[in-house]
Amino acid sequence: MTTTATLEGRDVAARGDGLGGDHHGDRARRRARAREKAAQWLFLAPAIVYVLVFFGYPVVKNLTMGFQEYTTRTFYTGEAPWVGFANYAEVFRSSIFGTTVVNTVLFTVGSIVGQFVLGLLLALYFRRRFPLSNVMRSLLLLPWLLPVIAGTSVWKWMLDQDSGVLNQVLRGLHLVSDPVPWLTSPDVALLGVVIVNVWLGIPFNSALLYSGLQDIPDELYEAGALDGATGWKAFWHITWPNLRGVVNVVLVLGVIYTLKVLDIILGLTGGGPANATQTLATDSYRRSFTEFSFGTGAAVSNVLIVVSLVFAVVYLRVNRRAVDE
Amino acid sequence: MRRITTGIIGASAAVAAVAALAGCGGADSAAGGGDITLKLTDTMSETSAPIYDKIYDACASEQGITVESNHVAGSGLIKTVLQQASSRTLPDVLMLDNPDVQQIAASGALSPLSDYGITGEGFPQGVVDAGTYDGELYGIAPIVNSIGLFYDADKLQAAGIQPPTTWDELADAAARLTTDDTYGIAFSATNSFEGTWQFLPFLWSNGASEDDLTSPEAVEALEFVNRLVQDGSASASVVNWSQNDVNDQFIAGKAAMMINGPWNMPSLEAAEGLNFASVPLPVPSAGDELVAPLGGETFTVPQTGDAERMAAAGEFVTCVTQGENQLTMATGRGAVPSDSEVAQQAAEENPLVASFVETVQSARARTALLGESWPEAATQIYTAEQLALTGSASPADALAQATAD
Amino acid sequence: MQRTSTLRQLPYTLLGLVFLALMLFPVYWMVNTSFQGGGTAASSSFFPTDPTFDGYRRALSQQTGNLLTSLVVAIGTVVVSLAIATPAAYALSRFRLRGMGVFSFGLLIAQMIPGIVIANSLYSLFNDVGLLNSVPGLVLADATHAVPFAILIMTAFMRSIPPSLAEAARVDGAGHFRAFWSIIVPVSRNAIVTAGLFSFLFAWSDFIFALTLTTSDTVKPITLGIYDYLEGNVQSWGPVMATTVMSSVPAIILLVFAQRFIAAGALGGAVK
Repeated sequence: MTTTATLEGRDVAARGDGLGGDHHGDRARRRARAREKAAQWLFLAPAIVYVLVFFGYPVVKNLTMGFQEYTTRTFYTGEAPWVGFANYAEVFRSSIFGTTVVNTVLFTVGSIVGQFVLGLLLALYFRRRFPLSNVMRSLLLLPWLLPVIAGTSVWKWMLDQDSGVLNQVLRGLHLVSDPVPWLTSPDVALLGVVIVNVWLGIPFNSALLYSGLQDIPDELYEAGALDGATGWKAFWHITWPNLRGVVNVVLVLGVIYTLKVLDIILGLTGGGPANATQTLATDSYRRSFTEFSFGTGAAVSNVLIVVSLVFAVVYLRVNRRAVDE
Repeated sequence: MRRITTGIIGASAAVAAVAALAGCGGADSAAGGGDITLKLTDTMSETSAPIYDKIYDACASEQGITVESNHVAGSGLIKTVLQQASSRTLPDVLMLDNPDVQQIAASGALSPLSDYGITGEGFPQGVVDAGTYDGELYGIAPIVNSIGLFYDADKLQAAGIQPPTTWDELADAAARLTTDDTYGIAFSATNSFEGTWQFLPFLWSNGASEDDLTSPEAVEALEFVNRLVQDGSASASVVNWSQNDVNDQFIAGKAAMMINGPWNMPSLEAAEGLNFASVPLPVPSAGDELVAPLGGETFTVPQTGDAERMAAAGEFVTCVTQGENQLTMATGRGAVPSDSEVAQQAAEENPLVASFVETVQSARARTALLGESWPEAATQIYTAEQLALTGSASPADALAQATAD
Repeated sequence: MQRTSTLRQLPYTLLGLVFLALMLFPVYWMVNTSFQGGGTAASSSFFPTDPTFDGYRRALSQQTGNLLTSLVVAIGTVVVSLAIATPAAYALSRFRLRGMGVFSFGLLIAQMIPGIVIANSLYSLFNDVGLLNSVPGLVLADATHAVPFAILIMTAFMRSIPPSLAEAARVDGAGHFRAFWSIIVPVSRNAIVTAGLFSFLFAWSDFIFALTLTTSDTVKPITLGIYDYLEGNVQSWGPVMATTVMSSVPAIILLVFAQRFIAAGALGGAVK
């Protein structure tokens, strides 16, 4: 940047001459700047092309599909009549729309709170160096490394009402008297699914939060300790403010990723029982691939993207204000 | 019924790795010089694929052509078919689960089998109905299946119970067979077309029909199934079980009876210490006719635009679906040959299949009545079942709610 | 700076082990089942009293090719993602070009798009250009999981590099690329490794593109291999879990080596 600034400075000086005698130098400098800008754009070019093709195109296609009547017939004949907002109207009018929105919100909030809090607690715990702490921290990432389908299969057994290990333990510890219908009762199924999602999400959260904690210099804590700030006070006055940046990223990304979650729910309950775990994402999938109504499926996924967008914008705006204060 | 048996092919490691590294895909074989190579896609699993491949090879060499078979997972098939349809890259011979035939035929992607002289003669009405769209036959199933009642003969004998034949007997038997660690009966009531499939025999045998799901007969059927769960004779987890899970429960001894299909025979026979048998599903009252749903994959000939290859494909399908091949497929997979005479032969050779041979004769195709609109009704059925069995609504309300949309 | 003796630290280790045990119980169950033969879902026992390698034998004989495919695809994804993301991160952190803010926001929106939406559009695109059932195709598709996040991490990190570092090279007449390659990249090693690690993991566990962008068995990542097992009449969960365990090994190895490089601390301020 300094080079550019210097160039501009010289430019001004040359023009200030007023005699127009340095045109040749002028043009050369402008060409040099153009070349410089071009070189800079080249750094971004591959990313821009990639994003346009692999994200832009699908988004546009999905947007248009939301306005079309797109069925199995369309795949063969290519005909997709324009129906305006009919798909959206059908989606908003349907009896499960309210359910899916509520479930999506509950699922997301439950998952994020669980993942974040537990992830943070684990990160804080492992900040202390004790024997085997490094190995343990690496092992904690295991849930994240396993293929999701395998993870959900195992959890499905573990949460089985009759013979699942979780119920066996709970009953053995006399915490419950009857087996809990984790995945089979509409009242509890969402909680069951949230538990699994939290389990899957803890590694991501704790890894990022841990490295965020690492970045906070020890001197701050030592200085704070001199002022009597230890334990909870140290956390509130030293750790938390310095961690805010990473926390923001973890939360925003966490919400965005969780809103999209599909295979976890499909693997555990398929959206049931009785739509108790049907979210916007699973509903979109169901409409498109079991009912073959791709237009309404696209409409639902567009609603999902908008929800995501609104959240991101609102959160960032609120946070910017908080940071500015 | 959307089959659970799906495709995994154990490709040899070396071939797969080399192919992967060379980035090669499904390359088109040279079809010049009169040498025809047909591309075939089916949904056969790792265990069933060899049986089919042998038949394909035999028919192919008889016809003087080559056939490349591709086995894909059943649940991902429709997606692939749709995408192939849109890019005009459908295979020459396509296996479709019978309830999907109408949908795909309606889109124009399939060719009428009458073009190749296939008429469905000798096949049960249900089989022909399933593959017919707008009066034309588009898919023909060489083997079919349905569901019946499997039971643990030892457990029934110990309790002194005869295999039930009516609903009341079924409820009674299930209740008496329920102990502390065994449920009397297990079935699938999950929120997918599998749950619907398992409910259909109750719906249809009671005289109800999928185009009027709020009729008293339909409510009765749902009330009966609901009672099994409310009485504790069936686990509440049935709302989450696939038919595979049900089979697992039965083999593990966690259920004395189960509603399931003959494709489980190989695993049932392999289970040690399990003395099982099967009877047709119980009917509402003595003397009623059992109407069970018809399952089975059909062979279809997609429109590829190449008349020569389509004709060859038609001839190939005729060969593959003929009598003796039906018997081979049926025996290997635990199913019933479509041709009635061959079916009788199969029943004689394997008594365990006999009850299914009987059931299939009067089985009904799921798409016979509603055609393309079947998926919608199917969704309503499993939604209602889920609402009722989870206690969220009474059976009557559940059906009303599910059909309200 | 802790000089407490190892012995006094032990209680922490023990408690840590308890947390670990709770978190990893499902993993234990997977390993446990992988050693049990002919079990059904409902009848596996807590401990393999009769361990067998049958599951592994079957898994090894059937899934090694798929493992290799996944490995090739994941490595390819890392290369492609870093190639795209690193220069972009440098640009976003250093340059002042018009529309960069829009681009950053676009990256955020890109991550909101459900995978199935992308997969569907990519199918027709890939079909037209012949990228279906191919490793390059899967690599490009899996990069959608990785590129936005990689750019995010590396941009945040590169912002914290003092400008004087790159300027020193520029003043000496080096072009942007030379400054980038010779100075920025080595300095950002931690961030690049972190981004590469996440890219590998995202690609390794991808399922949606594996399912949608392949129509035959020629190219089959391991996630699809497991899916096929589960979809079929699962007579025995041994091979399924054995495959799962096998499929976790490369990721675990990578993680153990790269753990110390995870430098995501600079993420603070990445999302403004």
